[in-house]
Amino acid sequence: MLRLSEIGESVRIAVDALRINLMRSMLTTAGIVVGVVLVVVMGWTIKGLDAVWEQTIGIIGRDMLYIDKWNWAGGGNWRKTRSRKDITLREALMLKERMESAEMVIPMARNWGGSIKLNNRTVNSSIQGTTYEYGNTPAGVTIEGRWFSEVEDLQATRVAVVGYGIAKSLFEDIEPVGQTIKVNGHPFRVIGVVEKRGFLFMDFIDNQVFVPLSAFQSAYGFYGRSFSVAVKAGNDRLLDIVRDEAIGHMRDIRNVPPGEDDDFSINEMEAFDAQAKTIRTTIWMVGMGLTVLAFIVGSIGIMNIMFVSVTERTKEIGVRKAIGARRASVLLQFLIESALLCVLGALIALPISQIIVASARAILISGLEWDWVSVTSPVIPIDLLLIAISVSAIVGVAAGFLPAQRAARLDPVEALRFD
Amino acid sequence: MSDAIIDIRHIAKVYEMGNEEVHALRDVSLTVGANEYIALMGPSGSGKSTLMNMLGCLDTPSSGTYLFNGQSVGDMSDDDLAEIRNQEIGFVFQTFNLLPRASALQNVELPLVYSGAPRSERSRRAEDALTRVGLADRIDHRPNELSGGQRQRVAIARALVTQPSIILADEPTGNLDSKTGQDIMALFDELWRSGNTVILVTHEEEIARHAQRIIRLRDGLVESDQPNEFHATPL
Repeated sequence: MLRLSEIGESVRIAVDALRINLMRSMLTTAGIVVGVVLVVVMGWTIKGLDAVWEQTIGIIGRDMLYIDKWNWAGGGNWRKTRSRKDITLREALMLKERMESAEMVIPMARNWGGSIKLNNRTVNSSIQGTTYEYGNTPAGVTIEGRWFSEVEDLQATRVAVVGYGIAKSLFEDIEPVGQTIKVNGHPFRVIGVVEKRGFLFMDFIDNQVFVPLSAFQSAYGFYGRSFSVAVKAGNDRLLDIVRDEAIGHMRDIRNVPPGEDDDFSINEMEAFDAQAKTIRTTIWMVGMGLTVLAFIVGSIGIMNIMFVSVTERTKEIGVRKAIGARRASVLLQFLIESALLCVLGALIALPISQIIVASARAILISGLEWDWVSVTSPVIPIDLLLIAISVSAIVGVAAGFLPAQRAARLDPVEALRFD
Repeated sequence: MSDAIIDIRHIAKVYEMGNEEVHALRDVSLTVGANEYIALMGPSGSGKSTLMNMLGCLDTPSSGTYLFNGQSVGDMSDDDLAEIRNQEIGFVFQTFNLLPRASALQNVELPLVYSGAPRSERSRRAEDALTRVGLADRIDHRPNELSGGQRQRVAIARALVTQPSIILADEPTGNLDSKTGQDIMALFDELWRSGNTVILVTHEEEIARHAQRIIRLRDGLVESDQPNEFHATPL
């Protein structure tokens, strides 16, 4: 029943009404501004987390399992985890031998408290002993130089591949490849640099030095050390099979009686997924809570000012009714005004959100040196803009409904008499 | 009287004021034919405003029947009444009641907006109506840029633009000086002469003299309903 001509007229009137009371309109819409800023910043944060996460998973590899004494994602009973038997090299090698479904099985030894020295400069890092095969996993991709070879592996050559973080902090301007560093006192020749992999929860990954397992043994020995085993399934679909097989073998190798819990942890990206999901959900819930609160407060303000607007324009409503405005026409007029008021809020909120997003990003990247933040979008994504504007319009219509209905139901005789 | 535009029979209007009943109209019957020129007179409290609201389909009677062009107004919904007001009735108010932020043209277009006329037709018809009231050169002016008489002319153009069956003017000269008032009355005379039906509500004898027929109300009843003896006399 609504006529096109009336919609145009309503928009014109609404824009006029907002312009006349610009200051009042902007103050009224403050709650909506806060709500929209929250929605947009929250949306950007979640999108950013997702992007960081995708990046990370791409680098670490979704098809990788790490069998370790420790559960990397935390969780479980720490005391119980601590009392687990170390995983010995023998166990790791037995697993490697028995595994059939996996593409690669790589034993690894780790020395957490390593000090790496170049000339007079020292940085702390962890030292990883591993095999040449690790160079074929997504975690072993070099951006400079190369990974160590099978021969170097067999001959316990003192060569090292350094993580991106080490390359940056220790070498600074010096070309790392070809330099000799002291790894816990033992000289190693740097032959490669691993590409940047660090992410949200695992910055340490860039602060490692990789050496051949054999060289690791000759330098630091294997006594009192718990090994971990990196298992590459080959593709995502095989992961379940590979995991089951690995668990079976490990329980067998370590003589875990049936019914007992595993005395080792399988670390995989999926576990981190759960953690990431929790963080995501938390941000979402807190953000949504605040947003809903802001929108409720905002819509009460809008409703209030719309009642004022209806009262102020009672006479005008009377005139319009006298010359033929139907209820729906008057209702539409005030709903459009209320919706536009909220959209005005959204339009004020968007540059504010953009400034917040851009400065947060800049501070995190250059201030805290969280380089991984650079995968987040520097601008507010267009879908968030559209969501923010439509949510505001809907809130406006909802908040404006009662006042608009009052206007629509005004008795024309009474309204015309109003001064 | 089947060709009457307005045919009201025994209508009454009762308002509840607290626990008191106010009989604004007690028993009024009258008919208005095409191209009549009527003045509705009476002291305040006589019920003339109530009758005007009734005639203008802004209000419905408590009892009695009101046939507008043969249709019973008492049975109509709010939206039907809005449509009758839009199509068949042109209101002219004492205080002009123009929209202050709209131009003369936009004010005159407004009834056509509510009737759903396309944009080009709206502006053409509104321009014609403004030309008819002698404001062709003021179409882009806002009400605050116009004199009182010009504002009332805009209001009359707004009343004319839908080519209604009747033009209902409530004290149209009440806010104007007498010279301007005479100009406005001359305009009503001319509209009547060109075939429009005009009902003036007024308490001024001088204004009422323009009409062809004078209806006087008192205490909610028609006191007299007579042809105007002075009518032949031009102002």
